[in-house]
Amino acid sequence: MSTTAMHRQGAQRRARLPLLGKALLDARFSLGTWAVAMLAVMCLYLPLFPAIGGNDQMQQMIKALPAQLVNALNYGQIASGSGYTQATVFGLLGFLLMTIMAVSAGAGAIGGDEESGLLELTIAHGVTRTQVVLERAAALVFRVVVLHAFILVVLLVLKGPSDLGFDAAHAAAGVLTFALLVLLNGSFALLGGAIGGRKVHGIAAGAGVAVLGYAFNALGNQNPNLEWMHAVSPYYWAYGDSPLLNGVDAPAALLLLGVSALCIALAVAALHRRDIHGV
Amino acid sequence: MDHVIEVAGLAKGYRSREVLHGIDFEVPRGQVFGMIGPNGAGKTTVMRCLLDIIRPSAGRVSVLGAEPRRAGPDIRRRIGYLPGELILEGRTTGRRLLRHFADISGPVAPGRIDELAERLGIDLDRQTRRLSKGNKQKLGIIQAFMHDPELLILDEPTSGLDPLMQQEFLRLVQEVRDAGRTVFLSSHVISEIQQAADTVAILRAGRIATVSTVAALRDTAVSRLRVQTHLSPDRTGALLAALPGLGNLRLETVHDAGGSPVCQASAEWTGPVADLVDVLPRLHPVDLALEEPDLEEAVLALYRDPGGDAADGRSEGVAS
Repeated sequence: MSTTAMHRQGAQRRARLPLLGKALLDARFSLGTWAVAMLAVMCLYLPLFPAIGGNDQMQQMIKALPAQLVNALNYGQIASGSGYTQATVFGLLGFLLMTIMAVSAGAGAIGGDEESGLLELTIAHGVTRTQVVLERAAALVFRVVVLHAFILVVLLVLKGPSDLGFDAAHAAAGVLTFALLVLLNGSFALLGGAIGGRKVHGIAAGAGVAVLGYAFNALGNQNPNLEWMHAVSPYYWAYGDSPLLNGVDAPAALLLLGVSALCIALAVAALHRRDIHGV
Repeated sequence: MDHVIEVAGLAKGYRSREVLHGIDFEVPRGQVFGMIGPNGAGKTTVMRCLLDIIRPSAGRVSVLGAEPRRAGPDIRRRIGYLPGELILEGRTTGRRLLRHFADISGPVAPGRIDELAERLGIDLDRQTRRLSKGNKQKLGIIQAFMHDPELLILDEPTSGLDPLMQQEFLRLVQEVRDAGRTVFLSSHVISEIQQAADTVAILRAGRIATVSTVAALRDTAVSRLRVQTHLSPDRTGALLAALPGLGNLRLETVHDAGGSPVCQASAEWTGPVADLVDVLPRLHPVDLALEEPDLEEAVLALYRDPGGDAADGRSEGVAS
């Protein structure tokens, strides 16, 4: 059929960022679910601060615990609002939830898509492999940004009534650092999937980095001889300087961001070098 | 001649196993070029190399004048591709899925998607995960054809389609060919290809066994001949055996409709039909049938052909 004339009458044009748009459209339900989960965690923990962190009996109980346990759980600063928020939400349950979110999204972006057989048809269309990786990485960044913007809003709402005692700027600094750490874990997952071509490779890479980072931080806290572990722990890079208390540690933030960018660049290179596998 | 696809010495190996052992062929512009071969012959591997989904281990490939690996996305917008193992996202509708591919590879003429959907008889508003294999295949066909590409690369395009839809699909192929497009399609049975294709390449165990026109293939194919006559079996046998194009002659006595015995000769015929016509009057036939040449058998013979390293042919699964 003759299409030239029809094109002039307004055929469906190409979209500017078709893969990003599609990824975000697909993510909208899961984003809502993760937001609800984070809201639940924050509403569960933060309003309890006046009863726990500021409570003398709780302080005495923590003093009675072995110092190693307290260090491992980051409960040392739990008496302050920032320390409490850090220990419960940013450092533990929130970190876990958001890492699961970012790692599964990152692992699915290339590895999961390829394993299911969908990537073959996508790259046979008018896209470059670079574009596939970058648009899907952008979708990952977008997810992390949206969820952490939401976390920041919830935190700003709850910090007054919960008597957390830090200002909005420090809240923003804490959430930003949290977001960068989560993004780093997700970026490793994306890289793992792009190298291995399967979702499980991405999950192994992302979860591995998250778990090792957490463990190295905890071990480094235990003993001066193990402090070198802090140097290789993204978790420590993010939280070592207590951003909720001291604001953004710019070199650490840049390091987190730089490693994520490096992962994505390596993912582009990896996908360019190899065959795409069908089912 | 202007070739849309040029392949020279194409080889592809996976780890220890080589799937393609250096194949050469060209697809001229405006032709329908069929590639047939048994499962595991390497048809899918060839097509994936053409689209830069996988990279050749050796050889030279040119598609629409460019090497697929160096070609940008603009080249792939001029190609419509239907994978052999079509996987579609489940949590969406056909319409949204096609719109997504149009976003990437468009523009798509207004109404084109609906026109194709109507011809193939598929409801675009159903969830893709609820579609049968045949209906998913229709979506695959639509996404390959909708942006009116210069070149269509279709891997087992009729798989899962019922005979009526296979005919509709073949009409679609004829239409785009008449509009000057080039079609490269694969199948493991010749009957699908013989109606549509101008040229056929037979791929066997990672090598091209033959490239030939369908007409030439038909000339080499075996026709079945059956003659009934009142002559004696000996006389009939003597007359027919003298013909060089005749093989596997079998003579038997059967009874005609009236119950009288007749001699029936059955044989395979590969010679020029004129030779046969010369002999027929002397046979005084009472019944005669010369059946359409069976391309299927001709192709099966080529599958099994010389040097038949049959073991290679069994490498199913990786690339069919």
